[in-house]
Amino acid sequence: MSSAELTPAEAARWAARAGLPLPADRHAVVAATADHIHSVVAVLRELDLGDTPPALAYRAEQETHDAAV
Amino acid sequence: MQPYELPLSAAAEAIRARQLSPVELADSVLQRVERVEPHLRAYVAVTAEHARRAAREAEDEIAAGRHRGPLHGIPMALKDLIDVAGVPTSASSRVRDGHRARADSTVAARLSAAGALLIGKTHTHEFAYGLTTPQTGNAWDTGRVAGGSSGGSAVAVAAGTATFGLGTDTGGSIRVPAALNGVVGLKPTYGLVPRHGVTSLSWSLDHVGPLTRTVEDAALVLTALAGHDPRDPASLTTPATDYRPTVGTDLTGLRVGVPRNYYFEHVDVEVEAAVRCAIDQLAALGAHLVDVEIPMTRYIQATQWGLMVPEATAYHERTLRTVPELYQADVRVLLEAGELMPAGDYLRAQRARTLMRREWARMLREVDLIAAPAVPATAVKAGQETITWADGTVENVSDAYVRLSSPANITGVPALTVPVALDAAGLPIGMQLLGRPLAESVLLRAGHAYQQTRPAPTLAPAV
Repeated sequence: MSSAELTPAEAARWAARAGLPLPADRHAVVAATADHIHSVVAVLRELDLGDTPPALAYRAEQETHDAAV
Repeated sequence: MQPYELPLSAAAEAIRARQLSPVELADSVLQRVERVEPHLRAYVAVTAEHARRAAREAEDEIAAGRHRGPLHGIPMALKDLIDVAGVPTSASSRVRDGHRARADSTVAARLSAAGALLIGKTHTHEFAYGLTTPQTGNAWDTGRVAGGSSGGSAVAVAAGTATFGLGTDTGGSIRVPAALNGVVGLKPTYGLVPRHGVTSLSWSLDHVGPLTRTVEDAALVLTALAGHDPRDPASLTTPATDYRPTVGTDLTGLRVGVPRNYYFEHVDVEVEAAVRCAIDQLAALGAHLVDVEIPMTRYIQATQWGLMVPEATAYHERTLRTVPELYQADVRVLLEAGELMPAGDYLRAQRARTLMRREWARMLREVDLIAAPAVPATAVKAGQETITWADGTVENVSDAYVRLSSPANITGVPALTVPVALDAAGLPIGMQLLGRPLAESVLLRAGHAYQQTRPAPTLAPAV
């Protein structure tokens, strides 16, 4: 297990902090799934995002305008 | 040919010319439902009485000279995430037991105003959070997956138990089942079709769109669906458009991008051969093929997950705390694990999406559309969890099905899947056409030209 991986107990604690108390029989499976999701999304840390803003309000009209410039 | 076998455009023309009545068409489709639905299980609920009553009203209106247009009297299936007033929106989930929609969704209201008849509500992978729709059998082989999450609508259209259907698409949920069942599926530009009254999986990735037997049919449905609705904050203010493609098959001057990376990697050899053959057909119609490099492919899955996982968990926040045991196991664990994703990961995905949109806009200045496989493999057997590729790589089935679809969700560009062939096992293969934002007409023109030069699509054997 790498240091970034969650133990079942840590998963339960994180979930509780998020307001979701997990029954004991959910701790291991949630930890494993959360670790898998983490391994997928962590790849984004390679990107140098600089001043790039989040695309929270996507609008195709803006995209069309950009493409026309 | 029985009325249920007619594609939308042919049925509409027959109704307009008074060679076919909406009552005859609805009766034919409902008889088809009685015959094949027990094997397919595409529907959550069939609204036969409602459909027959609406068909009689349509017949009376048309007889009185009030023909509303090409959807008047046409039987449709709506994915059961789409609200219809007075009817439950089950999301194919026990979590929604007792639900009843108070009002029509925008798309249901627009289709109703256009005169379409609701045959029933179709199965989705629970809350659209999956790629197989395990309740429903594939229309070509009921022992195989329907694809998802709009599996019920795709199977109904493929089997003739609806003349057209609507689905939703967050990572491929229209295009994947369309491809696996040999029908046309269109994911429009993000924001073109309002989502008000449609249960969300992930707000920033969700789209609503048609599933039909032909590209021309998809254009007819899109024309009725598109248009601004301020109740969807992403809704675009584009003017009303008639999307019906022009007659003719000449594609001279159209620049078709053929990806040299990503879209043909880890793709079944029969799928690749069929799609390349279809692309050659576009070239034979006059299109100019251009090699393109798909940008930022290493970050596609990470961006898709970084957006979808926390948004889906947020949508289900309350019920995950009150009735978690009512979710299916695969959906419940994803929703629970989503609680553990830091906000930083979500923002990083939104920033990566900004970069990806920019890079795709740059690529799409060089070509008018991109042609590629819709999914890397045909329908797998029900219960199969992984696909093993020729180089020994093992991939989760859902990851494989979503892989070629999600770029259009992340970037918001329109994407159309068109059936192009059957594999040696008799299972459908789809070609995906992706275009610039709001360039649906370009995709529909190319897809329609392609279909006009091929034998007319046939219904799935269904059982």
